[in-house]
Amino acid sequence: MASARQEARESAPADREIMVSRVIDASRELVFEAFTEVRHLSRWWGPEGFTTTTRSFEFREGGVWDFVLHGPDGTDYPEWITWTEIVPPERIVLMHGESRDDPDAFESVLTLEPDAATTRVEMRTVFATRQQRDQAVEKYRAIEAGKQTLNNLAAYVAETLQKGEQG
Amino acid sequence: MLLRAGERPVTEVAVELGMSQPRASKHLRVLREVGLVRVRGAGKQRLYGLDARGLRPIHEWTGGFERFWAESFDRLDTYVQDLKRTRQEE
Repeated sequence: MASARQEARESAPADREIMVSRVIDASRELVFEAFTEVRHLSRWWGPEGFTTTTRSFEFREGGVWDFVLHGPDGTDYPEWITWTEIVPPERIVLMHGESRDDPDAFESVLTLEPDAATTRVEMRTVFATRQQRDQAVEKYRAIEAGKQTLNNLAAYVAETLQKGEQG
Repeated sequence: MLLRAGERPVTEVAVELGMSQPRASKHLRVLREVGLVRVRGAGKQRLYGLDARGLRPIHEWTGGFERFWAESFDRLDTYVQDLKRTRQEE
């Protein structure tokens, strides 16, 4: 199984894939549980300062989590998640979009691997095309709107300084 | 950047950048206004230094999607530790 998984990992083109992982000091069952109910998910979904409002939630294969993500700057983002595969406590596959039948929805595969008393959580997202990946990166970049504003400001300042040096 | 090495008075910044002191002051003021540079009085001098609080969000902003999920997983970790403690107490 390990070689098959490795093969899959190698065959996924790097320019269409984004992988994020974390080792958590807890049992796999407990980490898995944090993905299964709104009362858990709402406590950690999104970076610091983000909150969620759930319209509907049904954690099962074919079930949907329909919610709104609230940014720290007050912007709302509609989110629509559908689970396509649930294997407790080791694997969750979900489609992530903005609404039902979102043509730009993308798939994320979450795997939970035990390592002694800890659990390694890995989220691999493979986009259909590189363009779709860039689009998602751009969307999430925009979500962190306050930070973007600051970055634009920094770019402006750097430019001003450069002009000052030349002039 | 010049201030990465440590705090400096405006006179030194002007010399290093080869610009007049008023010009250097003007640039430092702009940097202060956007939170990238801070200033503190030390005796008669005013020392300019980098403001790490201003720089951190710019660093975090790069990477968009990865950053979003890395930060979510930070919170997941904290939450699971809380959950673990609660379960142990029960």
